[in-house]
Amino acid sequence: MPAPDVLVIGGGITGTMAALHLAEAGARVGLVDAGLNAGSSANAGSLHVQMQSRFMRLYPDQVPNVEAALPFYRAAAEEWGRLDALYGPFELSRHGGLMLAEDARQLDFLASKAKREERMGLSVEILDRTALDRIAPWLGPQIVGAELCRDEGKLNPLVANLRLAARLAALGVVQIRDRIETLEPDASGVTAIGRAARHRADRVVVAAAWAAGDLVRALGLALPTRAEPLHMNITEPGAAQIRHLIQHAERSITLKQFGSGQIVIGGGWPAEDRGPDRMPGVLAESLLGNVALAARLVPQIGGLRVIRTWAGMNTTMDGASAIGALPDTSRVILAVPGDAGYTLGPLVGRIAAALVSGAVPVEDAARFSPARFAA
Amino acid sequence: MTDSFRFDGTPVAFGPGASIAAALTAAGHRHLRDTAKGAARGMFCGMGVCQDCLVTVDGVPNQRACMTAAVAGQKVERQAVLVPLETAQAKPATAPARVIAPDVLILGGGAGGLSAAIAARKAGASVVVLDERKVPGGQYFKQAATGAPLDAQQAEGAALLHAARASGAEIVGGVEVWGAFDGLLFLAEWQGTALVARPKTVIVATGAYERPVMVPGWTLPGVMTTGAAQTLWRSYRVLPGQRVAVCGSGPLNLQVALELARGGAEVALVAEAAGSPFGQIGAALRLALAGPSLAAKGLAMRAGLWRRGVAVRHRTRLIRIEPDGDALCATFRGAAGEQSLTVDALCMNAGFEPQNEALRLLGAAMEYDAEVGHLRCRRDAGMRTTVPGLYAVGDCAGLGGAPAAMAEGRIAGCAAAAEAGQGDGYDTFADQRVLARHRRFQHALWKLHDIRPAALEEIPGDTLLCRCEEVPLSEARAALTPEIGHAGSLKRATRIGMGRCQGRYCGAASARLVAEARGTAIDAFSLFAPRVPMKPVSIAVILAAQEALDAGA
Repeated sequence: MPAPDVLVIGGGITGTMAALHLAEAGARVGLVDAGLNAGSSANAGSLHVQMQSRFMRLYPDQVPNVEAALPFYRAAAEEWGRLDALYGPFELSRHGGLMLAEDARQLDFLASKAKREERMGLSVEILDRTALDRIAPWLGPQIVGAELCRDEGKLNPLVANLRLAARLAALGVVQIRDRIETLEPDASGVTAIGRAARHRADRVVVAAAWAAGDLVRALGLALPTRAEPLHMNITEPGAAQIRHLIQHAERSITLKQFGSGQIVIGGGWPAEDRGPDRMPGVLAESLLGNVALAARLVPQIGGLRVIRTWAGMNTTMDGASAIGALPDTSRVILAVPGDAGYTLGPLVGRIAAALVSGAVPVEDAARFSPARFAA
Repeated sequence: MTDSFRFDGTPVAFGPGASIAAALTAAGHRHLRDTAKGAARGMFCGMGVCQDCLVTVDGVPNQRACMTAAVAGQKVERQAVLVPLETAQAKPATAPARVIAPDVLILGGGAGGLSAAIAARKAGASVVVLDERKVPGGQYFKQAATGAPLDAQQAEGAALLHAARASGAEIVGGVEVWGAFDGLLFLAEWQGTALVARPKTVIVATGAYERPVMVPGWTLPGVMTTGAAQTLWRSYRVLPGQRVAVCGSGPLNLQVALELARGGAEVALVAEAAGSPFGQIGAALRLALAGPSLAAKGLAMRAGLWRRGVAVRHRTRLIRIEPDGDALCATFRGAAGEQSLTVDALCMNAGFEPQNEALRLLGAAMEYDAEVGHLRCRRDAGMRTTVPGLYAVGDCAGLGGAPAAMAEGRIAGCAAAAEAGQGDGYDTFADQRVLARHRRFQHALWKLHDIRPAALEEIPGDTLLCRCEEVPLSEARAALTPEIGHAGSLKRATRIGMGRCQGRYCGAASARLVAEARGTAIDAFSLFAPRVPMKPVSIAVILAAQEALDAGA
């Protein structure tokens, strides 16, 4: 087989979509993945748009970047809508997200957050309890109000991943199982050295999420990617009644109901990082704390049983995405979402693909330039 | 028959100690539930594993009829496929969580666990045994819910249980252990609230569940594991049906066929996959030498079946099951061709799958044994796994039989107590010798039966591989693109193994399917990754456990 024009490193949603767009544009594309299944394949399917209180609390220094990127989050949710129409259905719905407040102080915080988000073009509204009861009549009695962000939604990542992978196969994208550890660009191309083999390509797209930092360090970029192992739970099915993506003004949680009727509970409780070669492990405190919080916010799920928990990886950097060629090496193109990688992935992948093929990107790509991390 | 409850409005009488499933079976109600795809289901495993007998009890949905005691005046209902959330409201935990920290915690009160408890107590250790059943004893000794022992095997179990209680070990029944975490933290459900255990050492003695004969129709109501039928009879004195057939391979099938025949059932056929032992004189002789008394017991069982006119047909396999009014039409294939029988109940056992979830979750090293088609836990002579403080005895560590489990239990109980600072781990030479003999017997025994996993190419495509998510084998095969390199990817692609039984029946078959397609060998990592909870756990119990841990448990 001749060397592909482009080798995409990372088979998660970002790499998948970069590869898909490149192949559709006529490039010969290889997609290499380590196969550990902890990122996109462990995702729980929230489409995040509004600023997550969890993120604001944990990474206050990154909030300005996230806030500036709010239109990008909205555009990313819309990109998912387009993909759903093209390659779906992915059980995608965009009934909006509710961020709940349990007291007046939390509701005040949401009100000021909503004002900032509205300025950035998001469709948000503060709802009191009466208004909430009309659209979500299953909340705990202590909930005083919520911020509704109409841009938010949910989808079934298992279905989306499967259908997009089938599209890749139909496009002739060659899928390779290997863990790439070193990139060696030269005048005529790039050699990606993996544990199993050496792979040669004209250009390389690095869509390796938390592993991207290690890959590009030797190429003069101090990309501060950080693996964030997170915990998730799923219940047995119940009748489909919860349409919104549920979050909390102060505490870490996402809660939503899949098309199967199962409730998925996650939202950023920690899991145990067991290194790059093992899946992250489940912690008892996270399981108990996360599910207990969910049951307090939505008591009606309390009669269902939890049937499975798992851990996946989120990736954080500086709050903004990194998309574009490395300052010193135009043959290596980064495609790393700033946070909420599954939401942003398709749009990030699409922009990276456009940059590789020399097309006009859908977004002004300059503000995502990796140059900000030049060592 | 004194008390009664209502099942969808109809009165159902039951005897003392009966489970809801036993009472419903006795009353002829086999169809307990409908699936998302509209298929009828009933009790299958009879031991809380398959989650197919879920009913709503007094308004609380998703209760296993096989594990829930019948209570006079109870309201039992077939539930909607998707239970409305408002009816599923959290029932608050009945009491605060109980927290225990024994020297030796034993998971499973069967032959191995009870033997371990006695040995550990003798060495001076504090011991708590947790068992799923209200009445412990395990699947081999299968105790009666009430009343006197049925036979010598039940009497031996009753004596062991009595000895374990007399030893001072605390034996807690009705406990569902659902969480095992590093540092030896165990979370369980007990009487509607949480039980939190932080033992010094733990002995896993969780036994095995039964491997089914996967054929079209194996999920129909009235089809059940041989062990489920045995529980109905031995624990509750209920026959699975008036006319029954038994299929698969192994001595349990023969034993249960005889027990049911003695109990008054008409046993239409015992279909054994292996050839007749009388045609395998060498292997039969080795069995007789390794365990003369057990071999004689086996021979007596065959004589008993013969006297009752029960046909035991060798090299005969079940190939499909179809509904036939309220009954089942089961078709078998043997040397004489195909034969269809109409029966009320069909019992199946094609070997065993170890209940090794806790061992796998805690990271104990395993090896795949292709002969029996399941994992064996790596252990030293003291039954220590590769995880500090974690011991494994009996069938949960790989098929070995109850007598071996008892010897292993005595050895592990002694070693675990010593590790917890009690006793000196006295000389276990005698038990090691007994164990070696039982292992020789087991080895010879299984040579006479055929419990190798079924060849996938012989299973028709419309056979359900995953009971819970209703995924047929053909769909799993179609999903096997070159990117599917692990059972876990097949799971994400097809939803195989994502249901309430958590992959207990489809897991091994999925791993074999992927391995065959990829031309790879199965190893300890080929199965679905182990996950918490080990059994579905109610959110109310999670709340109680969280409060206990918050309070510093």
